[in-house]
Amino acid sequence: MKYKDYYETLGVPRHAELDQIKKAYRKLARSYHPDVSKAPDAEARFKDAAEAYATLKDAGKRTAYDELGHPKTGAEFAPPPQWQQDFAAPGDSFEDLDLADLLAALGRGQRGSAQAAAPIRGRDFESAVTVSLAEARQGIKVQLSVGDADGERTLEITIPPGVRQDQKLRLRGRGGKGLRGGADGDIYLHITLAPHVVFRPDGLDLYFDLALTPWEAALGADVEVPTLEGTVLLTVPPGTRYGRKLRLRGRGLAEGHSDLYALVHIDVPASLTDPERALLVQLSNISNFNPRTVALKEK
Amino acid sequence: MIPKQSDWRWLDTRETVTLTELSECCGVSESELDELVGYCALIPLAPANPQPTFSAHWVVPLRHASKLRMDFDLDLFTMAILLGNLNRIEVLERQVHSLQALLPQQLRSGIEVQPTGA
Repeated sequence: MKYKDYYETLGVPRHAELDQIKKAYRKLARSYHPDVSKAPDAEARFKDAAEAYATLKDAGKRTAYDELGHPKTGAEFAPPPQWQQDFAAPGDSFEDLDLADLLAALGRGQRGSAQAAAPIRGRDFESAVTVSLAEARQGIKVQLSVGDADGERTLEITIPPGVRQDQKLRLRGRGGKGLRGGADGDIYLHITLAPHVVFRPDGLDLYFDLALTPWEAALGADVEVPTLEGTVLLTVPPGTRYGRKLRLRGRGLAEGHSDLYALVHIDVPASLTDPERALLVQLSNISNFNPRTVALKEK
Repeated sequence: MIPKQSDWRWLDTRETVTLTELSECCGVSESELDELVGYCALIPLAPANPQPTFSAHWVVPLRHASKLRMDFDLDLFTMAILLGNLNRIEVLERQVHSLQALLPQQLRSGIEVQPTGA
């Protein structure tokens, strides 16, 4: 078993008070927590600090740790034989443990009271999966690899149809195995929707941009529009204005319970042919439509 | 291995969890959960019920707050504040998603700002 200098890890002297230890740990945690730091060694440094703090904040574990003396970091050492008798719960063995496991076992064993150890719940696993919008609508089976003390396992998970962005799924009892009668852990699956070139999800509804010509918007038209299950014909009513939402019922992510919306925007030709220009000039001359007046009236 | 349908649960408002279940899956004791309810950081579905149940949407932020509590050695009251802020972030992220869905594609990549003044 290799010795680790927990005082050195936290950067505190061996006689440091608990407050000093806590302050040093929090400073390191703030710097290296995976939520905060993206440095490549941040996670490892955070784990080292957490391991050191877990021992030094607990008076019993700290005393036991101090009993080991002060070997150099990385030096091989054997725990005092008395520890097995004093600390370990029935069935626990110090063999094949590292220092952190050993001190955790000491915590569970409660020095001087050889007692049946409490059940330990299995580890929970967090996993993330990205699915396409079509898969979210239809449902999909995904393979998840999870690793624990028993080795690597592959689970096939069925994600039901009608999934929305950032939905979370809990798979009960599929995580790590519990010890001494403790319940098995769970798997928490975070579902993300892959970006789509056409559709944008909002909850279970979908949105897409529908470009119309000015005359289609004014006169109305039947236009082909995309859906997750192929194109359909959408009737654009006459007098359709920019920003209007045209609904295609039941064509969102949850079949029958969510909708697909076409968000209208009106486009104009970048260049005009002579007949087009002539017609538009004619329209301009005879029309008394003024969108600025309409906008002012609506205020 | 294909889990039975009863093995999985959506962690959203469609599902409910008991106090005991919430305690188990979030690593927070039942008495601490009661305290969080007392701080109004956690809201049961029927507050008057002696055996409270909660919307399953609490599970994820509570697990996150519980992990941060452990990682940073925070007290329960700080965790209550954290939980409130995590919920707020989630609501804001949902609003951003909704607004992004309504924003035309051409505006999503960057809004053109007209230069002002001479």
